[in-house]
Parts: sequence; C-alpha cells; structure tokens
Amino acid sequence: MIRGIDFRTAAAAALKDRSLRDAMRNSTDVFTTKRAEGIAQVPFEEWRDRASEIRMEVIDNLPEYVDRFAASATRTGATVHRARDAASACETVSGILKDRGISHVVKAKSMVTEEIHLNPHLEKSGIRVVETDLGEYIVQIADESPSHILAPAIHKDRRQIGRLFADKLGFEYSDDPTVLTRMAREVLRKEFLTAQAGISGANFAVSDTGSIVLFTNEGNGRMVTTLPPVHVAVFSVEKIIPSFKDLPAFIRLLPRSATGQILSSYISIITGTRKAGESTGARELHLVLVDNGRYEIARGEFKEMLKCIRCSACLNVCPVYRVIGGHAYQSTYPGPMGIILTALLEGMESAHELLDASTLCGACKDACPVKIPLPDLIRRLREVRAEMGLNPRIETQAMRAFGVAAGSPWLFSAAETLAGPVWPLTRLFGKGILDRLPRPAHKPLRRRLA
Amino acid sequence: MTRQEIVDRFMDTASKVGAEVMRVTSLEELDRAVLELLKDTDSIYCPNRTEKERSLTVVSERGTDDYADASASVEEVFAAVAETGCLVCSSQTGAPVQGGLLPPHHVAIVDSETITADLEEFTELWPGEPPTNITLETGPSRTADIELTLTIGVHGPERLSIIVI
Repeated sequence: MIRGIDFRTAAAAALKDRSLRDAMRNSTDVFTTKRAEGIAQVPFEEWRDRASEIRMEVIDNLPEYVDRFAASATRTGATVHRARDAASACETVSGILKDRGISHVVKAKSMVTEEIHLNPHLEKSGIRVVETDLGEYIVQIADESPSHILAPAIHKDRRQIGRLFADKLGFEYSDDPTVLTRMAREVLRKEFLTAQAGISGANFAVSDTGSIVLFTNEGNGRMVTTLPPVHVAVFSVEKIIPSFKDLPAFIRLLPRSATGQILSSYISIITGTRKAGESTGARELHLVLVDNGRYEIARGEFKEMLKCIRCSACLNVCPVYRVIGGHAYQSTYPGPMGIILTALLEGMESAHELLDASTLCGACKDACPVKIPLPDLIRRLREVRAEMGLNPRIETQAMRAFGVAAGSPWLFSAAETLAGPVWPLTRLFGKGILDRLPRPAHKPLRRRLA
Repeated sequence: MTRQEIVDRFMDTASKVGAEVMRVTSLEELDRAVLELLKDTDSIYCPNRTEKERSLTVVSERGTDDYADASASVEEVFAAVAETGCLVCSSQTGAPVQGGLLPPHHVAIVDSETITADLEEFTELWPGEPPTNITLETGPSRTADIELTLTIGVHGPERLSIIVI
C-alpha cells in the first residue's frame, strides 16, 4: 500500500492555526489586489490567447523542441544533459560538481529542484548548498519547505523570522523586515563571493537561440549566474518556448500575473558561456533538462497542464489555498496547479486526496495567464479516481445507497421519515464531516411543497 | 512614436518603477549630474569604456577597479525600453554586467538614441546570436519575502539613478 498524502488531516490542522490563517489572508489579498492593478490597463485577454497558443505549440511537439533547444544551446558553448527522472537529474548535478571538486554552491529559487529533492541529495554527497532567495533562505535555515511557489516563507510572520535569525545566525533580535533583510544581505553576500558554483532554474528556455531566461526581484538570480565560475541550470523540458521573438509575450505576462509588477526588477537572458572580449558569464554552463514525467503528460489528455508558467496566480485566488496555505498539500506544488501536477507527476495512488482541495469555483481558470482549464482538469481527474476505485469506501457506499433510494419513491420517503430520528446514530461512524452537516428537517421540503 | 515621445515615455515609466530619472543634453551637464549624485561616495566603479564614461571627473578622482567593494557603479548601458522603463545591460559591450549589481548605488547613463519603443523592438537588437548575458534592470533590488513588506536593496542596489543624455 502506497503511503499517500493525508490531505484531510493536514488541512484540518492548518485551519486551527490562527497566525497561519492571518498570514495567508493578508498575503493572498495583497497579491490579488496588485495583480488586478497590473492587468487593468492592458489587453490582457489578447496576451493570454497568444501565450497559450505559444505554449501549446511546444507541448504538441515537445521532443522536437527539446532537440532543437539542445542543439542551439550546445552551439553557444553550453553542455546539455538530459535526465529522465528525479534520481538521474540529481546524479547529474552532483556528478558535475564532484568531478570539479566543488563543495560549496549558491542556489537561486527553483521549484523543479524542490520537485526532484536536489538539496538533500547534494548535502548527502558532501556539498554545502545555500539558498539565496530571501524567502527560500528563511525556509532553509528553519529546516522547512516552501509554502508558496513565489513567496516561500509567507506562512511565517516577522517575529518568527526575527527569532530564527537570532538563533541561527547570531544576530540581535529584530522584527523589522528592513533590518532582517540587511542581515540576510550581509550573510549571503559572502556566500556569493566564495561559492564555487551556482545552481539556478529557468523560467523559460529559448529553442532557437539556446538561451535560458530568469526573472528575479532580489538580484540573487544574477549573482548566482554571474559570480561563480560554474553555472548549473536545472529546469523541466516544458519550459521551452520556440523563439527569442516570443519573449515579449511572457515578459509581459509573468510578472503581472505573479506580483502585479510591470516587470520583475531583473530579467536575465543567458546564452552560453563567456566569450572572447566579454567580462560576464560563467566559464562552464551546464543545462540539465529534466523530464520526470513530462513527455508522458504531453502525450495524454492532461497535456494543457504543461502550459503552466508557475506564476502562482491560481494559488492566490483559490478559496482553499487562501485558508489552509501551502504546507497542508504536502506536495512540492500547492494550490490548483499543484493538485493537478502532483496527481500527474506522483501518481493517483498517493496524491488522489488532493483532488478534494478544490471547490471547482473557477477563479483559478479566470486568473491563469495561459488559460489552463484547471477546474475541468480537476473534475476529469476525479472521474479517473472513481474509475480507479480510489474514492473513500464510505463515500462509494453512501452514493450507492442514495442511488438505490432515489430509484424507488417508497424507499425514498421511508428514508426521509427515518432520517430525523436516526440522525444521532451517525455519530457512531465517527465525528468529522457529519458534525458539520445540518440536522435533517422534521418535514422535508418535498412534502412541504406537495 | 517620435524620438522625443519615446524618451518621454521611458522617463515616465522608469520613474514609476522606482528609479530616479533625469535628463542632460551635453557631456558637461552629464559630468555635473554624476558629480552631484555621487558627491558623498568614496569608491566608484566604472568600466571606463565609452566616451561618456571616460569623461566623468568623479571617476578619475575616486574610481576603483573592484566592483565587489565599490559604494557605487556608474556605466553607460547598452539600451533601454520605453514600454517597460527598463535598462538593457549587455555583456557584448565588454563591461561586466554584474558591475551594476553589487554596489549599493547604480548610476546608469542612457544614450537617448538607444531607447527602443517596446519589447518587440528590444528583441530585434540581436538578429543573430544574442550575447552571453542580457539583463533587463527595472528599479532597485527588492523583496517582499517577509510578510510581503516591500524592502528595497536585498542583494542588488538599493538605489538606481538613470541619466538620459
């Protein structure tokens, strides 16, 4: 039996955490307000259609685009590695580092490296990895995992972070975000200047030029990719876009959908290794293209999920995510996009409980900058779950009983009459959901209308 | 859009995203503007590559070759984009792109002729292979990772000044 995600228990615990709920309400409100401002003055619908088309073109021809990207990148001096699954991606990265005697790396935020659990693997291989995105750094020294794909530490308040920095870094306690940020700047600046390699992800990879594109606000992405002599970029194959000319479509959409900014502070477009006459660029650039299930998804009925550009707009508008936060999902990717990706990447057996973490209200579908029909995909995955017989037994039995009763007028009205007196007995089946249901009416609506 | 409209739009957008923007019309004015901006700065990194960069007296007086240790950097950037108010830094100039990243104050000189109207025009700057590093820089370095409180100057500069000439 596969030990799956116990979403119900984790969500119930998250609901009881008052400070988490305050933090979540505050942060998701800020994100959605800013996003609304960011898209108010622009032809957003037109941009979404265009971006969605570009992404589908790549997904429908994924192997060709991956080959084309690999050829372009090789031409520019990069070394391209292809990894079939998480284990081989991790082995590839640790192999590159170990072959060069590298034991200290700085890292920019990358969700796929969370997905493949790269950090624990590198640490086991004796390599010290320092996360440099402020939120990711906070989560790393707290020994936790990110709770939001964009703002990894939004589940923590300033006092918790102040105590953490005092305990782990030896600074005097402060709960002023400016002071805390300066502490991190000081500690991490030293790491940037002494690291032997930098590891980053990529927001996009450009097939015709072999470039990778990174969006950051803090500048850590620029440090990681320009200061150490070796740069390893790890990203999943569906990040590819066809052409350099497609960049404007995504430069306009991603920051607006993510934080409401017109542009992120820094967008780095990196093409190959340092050339003669240049003073910027790594001496060695390794691009690790991770499949980990993408090729298979691209061939199936859920392929539209691969259009995702990880902006997190769907998290911020989701009535479930907004209340329970990211950790309750117990998966790398939370929120509506996370439900679907986790089910597809990790398999139904372990992830199917997450399919209930949606009200199917459709807010995510409206927010998605690349028009992924998220609620439709979740609904379809629920059908698959039922076909696989993974629904909870009590639910299946209850639905079957209802089906029998609804098929017979006599049985149905007998059940109505009995429902009231029998209701207290439902407690025998355990508390939980039955406690939250209203008691049956003395006289059912159907009879009142008759 | 005329050149004048493009320059106006760039200055307007760039100032909205957190940069201080000013305009000069001669090398003398440029020199004075940079001097005023950096009057309290002790060590200044400048690649000394272009005519505009070499004309700066403040650099000849207080220049340093070590951008990791400098208090400010001043450089002429490759281009800019009016639509988004961003600077375009490129490794093809020979200057280190990270030179504008490490010091806490970045002073960027923009030749008004190099400002593109929009992002499409920006992608047309490289008909062939792009250079190793192109960086679009918009405003100062920022984070909102602690309670989504905007904090300026995380890893990169906390102040960005743009002088259009």
